[in-house]
Amino acid sequence: MGTVGLTLRWEHRISSVAGEGGPGVQPSESAPQRNREQGVVAEDADLAAGCLAGDMRAFERLYQWQGARMRNLARNLLGSQTEAEDAVQDTFLKIQRGIGTFRGQSSFVTWTFRILVNTCHDLRRSRVRRKEQTRDDSRDAAPMPEPHAPVAHPSLRMALERALAQLTQHQRDVFLLYEVEGFRHAEIAATLEISETASKNTLFQAKKNLRSMLEPPRSAQAGAR
Amino acid sequence: MNITCNDRERIFLDGSPEEWAALEQHAARCAACAEEVRGWKALSMAAEEMRDYKEDSQLWAKIENSLRGGEQRRTAEHGFWERLTSSRENSLGWQTALAGALVVVLALSSVYVVLHRGMGDSGQSRLLKNSTLAEVERTERDYRQAIDQLAADAKPQLDSPATPLMASYKEKLIVLDGAIDELRTEAGRNPSNAHLRYQLLAMYQEKQLTLQEVLETKR
Repeated sequence: MGTVGLTLRWEHRISSVAGEGGPGVQPSESAPQRNREQGVVAEDADLAAGCLAGDMRAFERLYQWQGARMRNLARNLLGSQTEAEDAVQDTFLKIQRGIGTFRGQSSFVTWTFRILVNTCHDLRRSRVRRKEQTRDDSRDAAPMPEPHAPVAHPSLRMALERALAQLTQHQRDVFLLYEVEGFRHAEIAATLEISETASKNTLFQAKKNLRSMLEPPRSAQAGAR
Repeated sequence: MNITCNDRERIFLDGSPEEWAALEQHAARCAACAEEVRGWKALSMAAEEMRDYKEDSQLWAKIENSLRGGEQRRTAEHGFWERLTSSRENSLGWQTALAGALVVVLALSSVYVVLHRGMGDSGQSRLLKNSTLAEVERTERDYRQAIDQLAADAKPQLDSPATPLMASYKEKLIVLDGAIDELRTEAGRNPSNAHLRYQLLAMYQEKQLTLQEVLETKR
């Protein structure tokens, strides 16, 4: 059950970006890290109790803790800043209404992200329905990215967004949760209600597909193994 | 650890840190694996470009507003019964008095039914029809007066709404009043139509709840 990795910044988990080991390789746990993770578990439980009691400060703390990540995930899933904000707002309302059903079988934050992902899927489905009703010419239901904050490599981001739109919804979810938001496979499994192995397999397939879309065709010699 | 090209995809899928280190060593001597490892890692670096965690306090203000609205709605829904059953002011004595009043009403109703049982069939049905209608109209009038009293209490707040929530309550009440007027006109034309009466009752109840929410907000 994923509980602690959620609040670790992604740099702590994905060492490949820093050039150590491979993607998804997790550094061995040190004592300070264990302490930090224990603190995170306590914070998670504390927030759940606060939200259950209807304490507005608990909701605000949840927003301060996870709001930026929720917004980022929603924007990448929906391709729209405005819809992403609606999705996050909707998610908080659903948390408020449904907190009584939270049983603690996953971490509270995992539970909130499950609600967020489902909310984004619902929004996308209703967008598709609207398009069908208005006989929109666009055949693709994939998100159409909007302008966003300046990044170091805008062309790289745009290329990745276009390629992500070609993946299946499931592959897109897992890739974004793992590679962008820094969740661990155990946490993704709890969020998407799949097995950890399925999460790993889906990420592997998603990255293979993305590579084939993003990289120029290799020469026959380089392709031969 | 001895790693070959055949191990590469397995390590991409679920390799341990040691296996990754061994693959890196192997890739230093193998051009094909070096290219694959580079491409695999490049995706993680590209994903970094999709991360934008800037603060947005305006969004929290919107969320907080809607959360408070949700809280008020829930409070209004449960407020009446909570006040009735658990408030300290509503003591056991008060609740006993209410129960006593209900018993008296039931007893009077029974006496009324017994007294009118002996009437003829045709007369009874006509009398019941007329008396029921009169009863409905009297009850509706009382109910309307009670709601008007609520509306008078809420008027200062609704006349100059201080928050967007209050403004939306005001708009809702205007719509409800319009619907009530239309239904009353219809009911006036067809006084025996029970369906219209039910619709009218639902509108009155909605108006009452909305006014209660306005007054709860005031507190």
